[in-house]
Formats: sequence, structure tokens, C-alpha cells
Amino acid sequence: MKQLTSMKGKAVKQVAIIILAVFLLTLPLYIDSAYIMHLLIMACIGTILGMTFSLLFSTGLISLGAAAFYAVGAYISAVLSMNFGFSFWGAFPVTVIASACLALVVGSIFVRSGGIAFAIITLLFASAIVLAAGQVEYLGGWGGIIGIARPTPLGPVEFTNKTPYYYLALAILALVILAFYALYTSRIGRAWKAIKLSPNLSGTLGINLYRYRLLAFVVAAAGAAAAGSFYAHYFQTVTPGAFGGWLSIYIQLYAVLGGLEFYLLGPAVGAVLMTFIPEYLRVIKEYEPIVTGVLLLIVILFFPGGILGSIINSEKINGARLWSRISSIGTWMKKSR
Amino acid sequence: MTVGLFIQLLVNALTIGAIYILMVLGLDIILRGTKILNFAHGQFYMLGAYMLLLLFQLLHIDFALSLVLSVLILALVGAICYVSIFHTVRQRFAVTTTFSYRLLLSAMASVGLMMILQQGTLLVFGTQERGIQSPFPQVLDVLDVRVSLSRLLVIAVSIIICILLYLLMYRTRLGKILRAVSYDPEAVTLQGINTFWIFIFCFALGSALAGVAGGVIAPLFSVTPSMGQDVIFLSLLVLLVGGIGSYKGTVLGGLVVGLLLSFGFQFLGGIAELFLFILVIIFLSFRPGGLLGEAAD
Amino acid sequence: MALLEIKNITRIFGGLIAVRDLSLDVNEGEILGLIGPNGAGKSTLFNIISGFIPPNKGKIFFKGEEITGLRIDQIAQKGIARIFQEPTLFMQETVFENVLSGFHRHYRQPFWKAFLHTPAANREETLKKEKALEILDFMSLTSMSNELAANLPHGHQRALAIAIALATGPELLLLDEPVTGMNPTETMGMVEKIKRIRQRGITVLIVEHDMKAVMSLCDRIVVLSLGVKIAENMPAAIRKDEQVIEAYLGKQVI
Repeated sequence: MKQLTSMKGKAVKQVAIIILAVFLLTLPLYIDSAYIMHLLIMACIGTILGMTFSLLFSTGLISLGAAAFYAVGAYISAVLSMNFGFSFWGAFPVTVIASACLALVVGSIFVRSGGIAFAIITLLFASAIVLAAGQVEYLGGWGGIIGIARPTPLGPVEFTNKTPYYYLALAILALVILAFYALYTSRIGRAWKAIKLSPNLSGTLGINLYRYRLLAFVVAAAGAAAAGSFYAHYFQTVTPGAFGGWLSIYIQLYAVLGGLEFYLLGPAVGAVLMTFIPEYLRVIKEYEPIVTGVLLLIVILFFPGGILGSIINSEKINGARLWSRISSIGTWMKKSR
Repeated sequence: MTVGLFIQLLVNALTIGAIYILMVLGLDIILRGTKILNFAHGQFYMLGAYMLLLLFQLLHIDFALSLVLSVLILALVGAICYVSIFHTVRQRFAVTTTFSYRLLLSAMASVGLMMILQQGTLLVFGTQERGIQSPFPQVLDVLDVRVSLSRLLVIAVSIIICILLYLLMYRTRLGKILRAVSYDPEAVTLQGINTFWIFIFCFALGSALAGVAGGVIAPLFSVTPSMGQDVIFLSLLVLLVGGIGSYKGTVLGGLVVGLLLSFGFQFLGGIAELFLFILVIIFLSFRPGGLLGEAAD
Repeated sequence: MALLEIKNITRIFGGLIAVRDLSLDVNEGEILGLIGPNGAGKSTLFNIISGFIPPNKGKIFFKGEEITGLRIDQIAQKGIARIFQEPTLFMQETVFENVLSGFHRHYRQPFWKAFLHTPAANREETLKKEKALEILDFMSLTSMSNELAANLPHGHQRALAIAIALATGPELLLLDEPVTGMNPTETMGMVEKIKRIRQRGITVLIVEHDMKAVMSLCDRIVVLSLGVKIAENMPAAIRKDEQVIEAYLGKQVI
């Protein structure tokens, strides 16, 4: 993860985060349209899912089945709610933990393969999950599960319109960001980076490739499941169709578009763009996959660093010059006093 | 189960297996030669079917000639795709980045291509399913079973192509170069061979194989733009099961999957595919390299 | 008991016998040289010791404990560090970060404390950073701390690889051609460093082709040819050994 290590850089970053947080928190105050609120919520979910992809990518693994545990989380939460009477607040933690356990089992098989095999097997796994959900009667078959309860009121807050859902989505997003950030900046994140840069060298440093990758797999699955749990209680319906098709691909697109090297910010940028822009281009719905395909190609061919990658490269030069100009003016002002 | 049913299922299995063998051989050639995991591969299959629709059904060109023409056209399309998209990706990321980067970016590029090809075909031809009048509508009566000649054609074509490929790979100089390139492209360049053309050839060949598969299957099943999507998952599955990098494994994997699907659908119905996935996952936990493949990266 | 005991190691690739029934001991505190013409099996032996390849037959013991067939990271955890022939570094990281990553196995604070960034974990982090600087100084790389590893000249990349290995706090260091490709000045500098590494109590097993370096550095030399040990002795004796000279017939003179 690119970090500005200078003191000024850190301060700038912290201020930017605070401004962004305030902006996001007060957003519902000046947005009336329920539709836009919905898009924002979807962008939050998309960001979380994109970040799970990036998490695995940070260890050098490419997962093409990002939608798998998203679906698993949604279904587990739905079943807990419908058949066992859990409220969202109870179902959510149970779902995340249960999904993590499943990920541990499944991951211990998958992570043994490297590179291409892992990519394919995660893709197949995602399809298998969708197929399974469609075939199994207990999970509602292809019709899915309908009528999942909204989250029970939290104090005075009732989940009757988009706004509480928005804050809930934001809260989950914040939780995931904090967890991932803490991991990235710890020894674990350093081990992941080592594995990604050179599996051989990291092995000779005593890093157990398998164990660290499995950890990443489980954490990523937990994050996706959290998003899935939210999905179930937000849409109140889970169908297999919602998790298949292009979804896994769009999730990677978020990360690639935003910038692969920006594990947290990249997916956010990508998800926001990919959620909002197609809506404005809805007129040409038929052409949408073509536009997405072309966009994908353009990004990969000409902006492989993603949006953030292309900006940051130029900022480094411009920003440094700008700052040195400002500080030299300051020095001059001091001197002339 | 009667002998008749058994034979029918067997022929079915061989047909399905034949198709997937062709598909996965193409996928493998592309993967090993150019290190691209080509998700658009299924679209070349679909285009092969549409080519046949165009040439045979609409322009009334002789079936065999249509097949050959569509293969050539698809090889050309594949070559163009490689040159315009993948080669640039490859050049950009040749030295500085890790393998996972190159794999991801070329795979994502292929996804973009996939979306363009599929939606493009849909816009041009519409979503309706089309059928092709089989050139061999005859049916053989073997032991009380009706076996359609079209299916036997698929199996025959597949066998012929496997033999041709084998001869190419192991008995010609070009084949040697192709194999060498999958191990060490730099060494091949040092021998004075321009690997650019080799990569194009690999991609074109692989795409052509997918095109053949689509072409021969077209008379049997309906032709729709979503054909490609339907076939890519199982192709990838067979690739994994057979083992990346082993042609024999591919053939074996294709046959196994064909058998499982054919008999599976008969006895299990819709669950068959899911069953297959689960079996594969369990299988891979014991043999991550697949049936005969090199251990994965 | 020797620090590293290699007993009857055999390794076959396809039809080729890379290493044939090889036994040798590396004593604590010594610098042992492993020489031989190309194809003698030296790299294979390194790969076997460090866990990259399992042997077909034979066992290896480190400090009396069997390490045959252990994973790469497990062997690293036991205290064996290894340098690769091709520069294997974290190219997109700075020199400092490269060395820092070497301390991975020495962190006392458990996983979850690191995750939570507790004060104890932070203190440990600071300590490691100080040690990293010390190692950089030892290998004369301090001036390049903030350079990307990829930008370093070849000789410094070699030094960096050794610095990273030192950070793992090994008892046994496997050096794979540390001075190959260096000019005489650089070679002398590296030889000095390796001697000082031994002074720190680290045993060194070194594969090299540069005979001057080998002769001035090693306490003992083992000569391999076609997978078999053909001589094991002090440098002076090796120089005169007829079998060794014959194995090198046509090659660079000793």
C-alpha cells in the first residue's frame, strides 16, 4: 500500500480522511432521492467486495470468485433469519464466523494451488455456490428466499427508509476498512507483501506461504460474508441469480479500475465509479457490457495503474514542487521580517 | 439399464468429451504459449458456430468448406485480437512486474474482450436461438439404438484434430518451437526466432480449435450468443482436472468429464453439474496438479 | 557432532543423478567451501539443504535434529539462511525495508497483538528497525537505505541479499556464488565481510567458482564432480590433489 511517509504527508492524509468522513456522514442531509441513496449503499457493498479481492491480491493470489462468500453470507443470514428467527444483529456475527469457518475448510484446499489454478478454482467455486443455491430446495431453489426481515430497530432508529441502511452499510464498511488496515500495517501485512513480491525469498525468511495465504483467504471471505449478510436484510430477498454471471468479474474490475496497488482506496474509487456511471448511461443499456468491456481494455492497456495509479504518479512530481514553492515563500517571508 | 441406453449415453459422453477436449487443447495451447488465461475462449467457440450459420446455412456453402473457412476466419480473428490487445499487455509488463500481475491483467483484458464479443454478436444477430440444418441428418441403427451421424462427426473431427495436433507438436520443427516457447521464451528468441509470430500462431491456433468445436457442434445444439459463456466454465474445469500443461491429461480429463456429465444427467438430473464441481474440488484437494499436469505454479 | 550433517544424500532428476550418495559435515564456526565444475550438483545440494527440493535418499541433520523434507520456511526457522545465485530481493522495496523483512521469525509478540498495534508490539518494531540499521552498516549499505533494491548495482544487490539473510539471525549461512561477477576490489571487500560474518559466530557454507576467494576464505574445501564428492581437505592440499585437477581439466586453473 502506498504510504506517504513524510510528516506533511501524514497530516494531509489525516485531514483528508476527516473531511471525507464528515462528508459521508452528513450526506443524507442533503440528498433527497431514495434512488441515489440506494446507489450509495450499493457502492459501499461494492467497495467491501472489491477490498476482499485486493486483500487476496496483496498476497499474490488472484481470486475470481469474489462473489462466492458474498452469496454464502447472504444465504446463511437469510436462513438464520427465516428459519431460526434471528434478527439481523444476531445473524450478522454468526454469519461472519460461520463463513470464516467454511472458508477455512475450503481455503485449505484451494490455497495449495498457485497462480492460475487458484484463479480457476475460485471461479468454479463461485459458480458451484450459485448452482448449489439454485438446486437445493431448502435454500429456495432458483426462486430464492423472499421476505427476509429488516433489521430490528436499534433504539429509536427504525429501518423503514434508506437512510438507516446507509449508515449501517457505512458502519460495516468502516469496520472492514479498519480491520484490513490494521492487518496491512502489521507484521501480517508485511508478510503478505513479501509473499507477493517473492514467494521464494519470503520462504527463506521463515514465512509460511500457505498459512499466510490461508489467513488472507479467510479474512477476505469474512468481509464478503459481512457484505452478504447486509445484502440479505437490505434487499430482503436472496436469489441465486443475484450472485452469478458477471458479478465476480465486476468486483475485480473495481480494484483494477481504481488501482491495483491501492488495496483500500482503489476498490472504493472503482466501486463508486462503476456504480454511478452506468446508471447515468442507462439509456444505452444494451450496450452496457460492450462499454464495460471497452473500458476494461482501455484501463488495462493505457492506465494499468488504474485511476489512482495514474494520478498519484503525476501528483508526486507536482505535489512536491508545489510544496517546495510554498515553503520557500514561507522562508522568504521569515527572512524579510 | 439397457444396452441401447448405455450406448446412447456413451456416444453422448464421447461427443461432450470431444468438444471439451478441443476447447481445452486450444485453451492450453494459448495458456502455455502466451501465458494468457483467455476467458474470451468461449466466445471463439460461439463465433465458430455463428460462422457456420453464416456460411453453411445462409450462404449455402458446402459444409466441409464452411468448416475450413470458419476455422481460418477464426484463426485470423484470434491473431488480430492477440496483436491488438494482448501483445501490448505483454510488452508493457514483461520485466517489471510479478507473474500475478501479468496473469491478472491479461486475464482481465480477455474478460473485456469476452464481453465485447458476446454483446456484439447479440446486437448483430439478436438473442433468438437459431438452428442449423444438420448436413448429416442420417441416423444409424446400432443394436436398437439410434445414433445420430452428426454426433459421430463431432467425435471423428475431434480424433482427427488430436492426431494432427500430436503430429504438429511432436513431429515438426514448428511443434518443437511451440513447446520450447512455453518453457522459456527467451531461449527461443536467442535462437533467432521471432517469438512475436509464435505467440500469434499459438493464439490463432487455440482460437481456431475453439472455432472448430463450435462449428461441429452447431448442427446439434442451438446457436445463441450466450453459447460461449455456457461452455467456458466447464472448459476451465477440464483444464484444471486434466492438469495445466499436459495434453494427455486434457484428453483424459475431457473424457472423464464427458462421461460424468452424460451419465450424471441421466441419473441425477440438474444436480449433475453441481456434483461434478464437488467431485472436482475433492479430487483437487488430493491432487492439486490435476490428473497429469505439472504441479500448479 | 557437526552443526550440519549431510548423510548419503541422493537426488535424481528424470534419468540424471544430480547428487550421488553424498555425505559431508559442516562444523560449527568454520567456513566450508564447495567447489566443482558446472553440473557437479552444488546448487542441487543447496536446494536440498534449504528445503526447496527433497532428496530421494538420505538424511540431513542440523544441530542433531533431522531436517530432511521440512518446508522452506521451517528450515529457515531452524536458523539456516540461504542466498540465491540470481539476486532474489524484494525489488520494489527499499533496501531498508528489505532488511527489515528479514526479522520476520524473531518477533516475540503474537499475531493478534501485532494486529492490534499494542505498545509492546510497537516497541518491538522500533528495536527491529535499529537492528536493521546496524546490519546495513555492517554490510556498508547505509548510504543506500532508501534506494529501491531494483536500482542497486549488482554488487550491492549481492550485499543486500546477505544483509537480509543476516537479519534472520542464522547459525548457518549458505552462500551461493557471492562474488561471481565482481571485480577484484569488490571481491576482496566481500571476502572481508564474510570473514567478519564468521567472527559473529555464524557458520558459512559457500559455493564459489572464484578460486582466489575460496582459497583465502575457506578453512576446508569439499570438491564435487558429477554429483560425487571427490575430495575434502584443507585448501593447500586441495590445490595439489590430482583428482581435483583432473576434474577441472580445461577449466580455470586453481
